[in-house]
Amino acid sequence: MNQLLNKTLLYYAFFAIVLLLLSAPFFYSMMDRLYKDDVDEAILLRKKEFHQYNLPTLHQEDIKIWNKYNRDIWILPDTTTGAINRIQETVFLDTLQQEWEPYRVLFNPILIDKQPYILRIRINLVESEDLMKAVAKLYSGILVALLGVLFVLTRVISKRLWHPFYDTLAKIQKFNLEQQSVPVFHNTAINEFKALNAGLMKLINANLKVYQSQKEFTENAAHELQTPLAVFQSKLDLLLQHASLEEEQADIIISLYETASRLSRINKNLLLLAKLGNTQFQNRQDVDVRATIEEILPYFTEQAQQKDLKISACLTDQPLWVQANKGLLEIMVNNLFLNAVRHNVISGTISILIETNTLTFTNTGQTTPLREGLLYKRFAATSGHTQSSGLGLAIVYQICQLHNWQISYQFINQQHQFSITF
Amino acid sequence: MKILIIEDEVALAQSIATYLKEQSYRCELAGTFGEALYKIALYEYDCILLDLMLPGGDGLRLLEELKRLNKQEGIIIISAKNSLEDKIQGLQIGADDYLAKPFHLSELSARLYSLIRRKQFGNSNLIQVNELQIDLLAKVVKVNAEIVNITKKEFDLLLFLIGNKNRVISKSALAEHLSGDMADMLDNYDFVYAHIKNLKRKLTEAGLPDYIKTAYGMGYKWEA
Repeated sequence: MNQLLNKTLLYYAFFAIVLLLLSAPFFYSMMDRLYKDDVDEAILLRKKEFHQYNLPTLHQEDIKIWNKYNRDIWILPDTTTGAINRIQETVFLDTLQQEWEPYRVLFNPILIDKQPYILRIRINLVESEDLMKAVAKLYSGILVALLGVLFVLTRVISKRLWHPFYDTLAKIQKFNLEQQSVPVFHNTAINEFKALNAGLMKLINANLKVYQSQKEFTENAAHELQTPLAVFQSKLDLLLQHASLEEEQADIIISLYETASRLSRINKNLLLLAKLGNTQFQNRQDVDVRATIEEILPYFTEQAQQKDLKISACLTDQPLWVQANKGLLEIMVNNLFLNAVRHNVISGTISILIETNTLTFTNTGQTTPLREGLLYKRFAATSGHTQSSGLGLAIVYQICQLHNWQISYQFINQQHQFSITF
Repeated sequence: MKILIIEDEVALAQSIATYLKEQSYRCELAGTFGEALYKIALYEYDCILLDLMLPGGDGLRLLEELKRLNKQEGIIIISAKNSLEDKIQGLQIGADDYLAKPFHLSELSARLYSLIRRKQFGNSNLIQVNELQIDLLAKVVKVNAEIVNITKKEFDLLLFLIGNKNRVISKSALAEHLSGDMADMLDNYDFVYAHIKNLKRKLTEAGLPDYIKTAYGMGYKWEA
């Protein structure tokens, strides 16, 4: 109901109703006055007619008959105390329906055979209740018609008017910074939309530029670091050859080696992350997920021995073919597997499950759920694991994004569970 | 054995040279494209280590030049570029191997070792080390003409050790070598110990003296 079109319609309807309701009493009183003026005029006309045509030939003995056959013009004895010669409103009992009805009445003194009488002219008013009903009916008729027209008009006009807006909206919703495809907006003659599109274009281009330069920076930085790292590592290799090394020094060298390995791992992962959107990863082919898992299973089984982990792989009989970049799929599966090994506890379990088009890794580990918001962020590792590059899940996430796969995390039965739906 | 190291990062080039000299290779250095071109044209080498990004030109053009000159040297590219395309391109133009920076000197030495043997002996490739005979093609190891039954990993390990004779090889280098593509994500090297232990046991059971020595818990060495 919160759509722009409905909102407009709602406002129109609201204001139309308020306006009509407010104007109704005014309209009613105007109608009332006009009608009474009309009735009063008729009374005066009848008085004039009476004076001109009837009065000169009227005699006292005729009064009885006159009053018998006239309904609204009566000649009464001169005993009335009411206002004379002024039209006023009074109610009379309708003997037929036993109902009081409003009348406009004029009392006019006349002389018949030199005797004073009062001429009473009255005209029945339509009951105001009826008038109100009529006005209400009229108004609701107008209201319905108005709203109907408004509805159709808003629909038709707004749809056409707002079309460029909805078009733009749909396009920017689909826009993905990583895919680098700039949306092309429809040309529009409306200035506001033109400005909107131009503004969006500017924003998108600026974003793309920033994204690109950030990517390039990461790529260059990681790239430039490779050579110093190579120097560092080669010097370590040379240092290791010295026969005079003592145990204490050896310990230092070992930890330097570990640091060097970690550095180069982070660097390689950073480079990979920066390059993920590049064309080199765009080629797709049919890859069998099951075969990929089976291929790496021995390696990780070996890696898992140290922690005495129990790995159970529940794979389907049929291959699970997906359209993917083979290298990236392998990296993704490796990262997920490594994650399950690395963050596991001694004598823990890992289970790998393939169901229709979903791959699930479930493993024991820390006994609190991971924070999903931070999970796929770079370097936001929730555990203090020193060997972790903090990029593994970020890479998995990016690879999923690139292939339009769904990744989800759940903490079930004290186990961490990552699912990829292809 | 004469090796030409074409690498503009002097510290790295010198490290490589120092390491390889101990393996009785003779090393020459070239730090720029021009220098490399000059040396390639003038001298013969057994193997060339080639960095792709050089001051003065692209390393790939040196490769093309070597091909044009019809040189038979083995070529190992050592590059900071690590994309598959770079690798494929390098190998297509005529390099024999591709090693991405950063690498372990022991890894380089092992690759150099097998490359030179491949070049020298063609396909009938037998390595004789003391009582040990290794058939590279059939991947068979014999001790005193008796076949030793070892796994593929152990075979790789053995070659790696022999390719770095008398040098201490760090555990991380061994682990990365054994892990291949998975090396980037490795985090514990303990599985190396298991493989080494098995290899040692099999070789000594076959009657080979224990050539594999542990070096201060940091690594291993083939001492013969």
